[in-house]
Amino acid sequence: MTRWLLPGFLFVGALATLILIVGPALYAISLSFYEQQSLTADPIWVGLNNYATVLGSAEFWNALGNGFFYAGVAILLQVVLGIGFALLLHQSFRGRTLLRGLAFLPYLLPTVVAVLTFKWMIDGSLGIVTILVDDLGLPPIYWFETESAAMMSVILVSVWLWTPFVTTTFLAGLQTVPVQLYEAARVDGAGPIRRFFHVTLPMLRPILTVIILLRGVWMFNKFDIIWLTTGGGPLGATEHLPVLAYRQAFTLFDIGNGAATATLSFLVLMVIVTLYFWLFPMDEKK
Amino acid sequence: MRDFRKSKRLLSRRQTLKGLGAAGVGLGLSSFPAPAVKAQSGGPIRFLNTETGRETLAFFDRIAQEYEELTGTEVIVDSVPLSESFTKITNGIRAGTPYDIGTVGFIGHVLLLADEGHIVPVNELTDAHQWGNKILFPLDGQVFWYPFDYNLSVIYYRKDVYEENGLSVPTTWDEFVANSEASVAGRRRGSLFPIGSNGATNWMSFAFMWAEGVELFDDEWNVLLDNDEMAPKAAAYLDMMARLYETMPPGALQASYADVLSNMVAGTLTHGPYAGRVLEAAHRDNPEVAAQLDIMPYMDSAGEQTAVSHGYDGWIVMNTDNLGPAMEFMRWMTNERMIDFLHTTPVHFQPARLDIYDNERWRDNPMIQQYGHVLEMNRRFITDDSVILTSIDTQGPAPDVRPGKIFESFVLPEMLQNKILRDMDSAEAVAQAAARMREVIA
Repeated sequence: MTRWLLPGFLFVGALATLILIVGPALYAISLSFYEQQSLTADPIWVGLNNYATVLGSAEFWNALGNGFFYAGVAILLQVVLGIGFALLLHQSFRGRTLLRGLAFLPYLLPTVVAVLTFKWMIDGSLGIVTILVDDLGLPPIYWFETESAAMMSVILVSVWLWTPFVTTTFLAGLQTVPVQLYEAARVDGAGPIRRFFHVTLPMLRPILTVIILLRGVWMFNKFDIIWLTTGGGPLGATEHLPVLAYRQAFTLFDIGNGAATATLSFLVLMVIVTLYFWLFPMDEKK
Repeated sequence: MRDFRKSKRLLSRRQTLKGLGAAGVGLGLSSFPAPAVKAQSGGPIRFLNTETGRETLAFFDRIAQEYEELTGTEVIVDSVPLSESFTKITNGIRAGTPYDIGTVGFIGHVLLLADEGHIVPVNELTDAHQWGNKILFPLDGQVFWYPFDYNLSVIYYRKDVYEENGLSVPTTWDEFVANSEASVAGRRRGSLFPIGSNGATNWMSFAFMWAEGVELFDDEWNVLLDNDEMAPKAAAYLDMMARLYETMPPGALQASYADVLSNMVAGTLTHGPYAGRVLEAAHRDNPEVAAQLDIMPYMDSAGEQTAVSHGYDGWIVMNTDNLGPAMEFMRWMTNERMIDFLHTTPVHFQPARLDIYDNERWRDNPMIQQYGHVLEMNRRFITDDSVILTSIDTQGPAPDVRPGKIFESFVLPEMLQNKILRDMDSAEAVAQAAARMREVIA
């Protein structure tokens, strides 16, 4: 039995990867070389024309810029806030366990629930936030009424939803740092800030590298939040590459350009991830 | 521990790698675009429904069972939201398991499917009836769908607010904006017309422009929006909408169908566009508001013309091997159970068939009796040729996919946003929209 166990597992894994990941990815890439005006139309081979069209459009570059901005700011805030909360929750105080559970709560919510709840809360007439602001005598908040406000709003929702992931991961890492290191630093006269920068951060660098990598990939590809809150608007202000690709393929039924945009998005991400690993290698050099 | 590298293997590592490589290449090549196939034959009739109200779903369950008892033919009804319908239909075709009957709410999709030969004419079902204006969308005399309702976007207004403020039903843009301004009080806003890049804006916010006489295409499908006649009208419309925006609640730039509906039903608006669903929802959730709602058409700037925004739903019969049974089921359902179907959402399902308006059984429904004045006015909108009945996707000299592309690319909502969000000069916003339209349909 053991003779076939490892090859068997390998075969199942490889087959599943081929069918569920490689196959669809190849199919999506293959579509980018065809012109197809609906999901049922006969495709026409156009070579790299779709790529030329997409790269020549202002929409693509706007979406790429929006993607970098959205992902960059959201990750920055998630990491800073997440580490802050993790440090707080690492302290000893009454109710810490309960608070740790509550802090993880937003991450457990399905995105669609979180986004719809957020939209109800800020509804211009009926939202609880709107009514509260009105009761306080403050002017109404126009959450999505300008291009920058819309971007800030989707970032806000993203940060609220995914900061708990950073908090939890970082908190788990914090618990692995040997207490002796802190004690030694304290004996040497290091205050809390120096202990954080000279003990905590170096010890948790590998975890932080993974957190930023994962959050970067997820935020760059994040579709649902933007689609559900703004649909990429107003005037393309929050449209990033996944939304653009979806709109091209499934709203305008321009399958070829949608696939080309998705493929380019994949390539951009590949380059970024490669650069990231080059700049921040996971393994310490021996 | 066993060393697998030294064991005698059935396949060498080289053979395994070659095998996996070949499988990968094969899989990749096999997934390259292949023509759609037809595979349905004989089995149950597969029906894709998009009307997801509780009563309507129960209706389909009931008639599927009834039809099977009557004929021995099984009917399987799948239900999805309308926005998912076309993807579901085309995925079915692509996968070789097409639906036999589908529901669509966008004439561009009907035209695409007809053009590719995936649906068949249904004249044998439609020719027997009289229909309201602009609903059959025939192609060379062939009708490719069975429209079951109109969803006209009209302007709902609160009669009690009008009485309190001494307002009368407006006939010009200036009067409408003035009424909207006059009715703002506390948390109640004057109106909400969506402005975002979404279907709600396309459907609800441009009928003012149609009433003004704006047309998007000439008979040769040239874009008219920025010509000498249309450009000033479209620019005037943008100026009016900018004034109206001041009376709207925050959120108009992202407002959806649901936002307009919930605000109207909650009583936080004096005016709002929608079809009969507003009355259905208000009747259920806020009867006091429902009793105060009445409708008016969209008006022009001079009080000379009115318009309503076109909306519709219908059934298509797919070109499958189950075509005969599917057509028979459609014949039975549309002849024998049409009134029951319409009664599942009595006010919102505004009949497309004119004979139904005089059908005693249809009229006997309590909701239809209670809101008969609204349905009568809606009936006028689909029979009175002086009322402009159009929408972005039905503009142009004939049914065509080009207006559908304008609809889906949100060119006109972006024109509105350029005016309201960026405070762009109206003439410039119109010129940009016209240029974009030409790009989209090129």
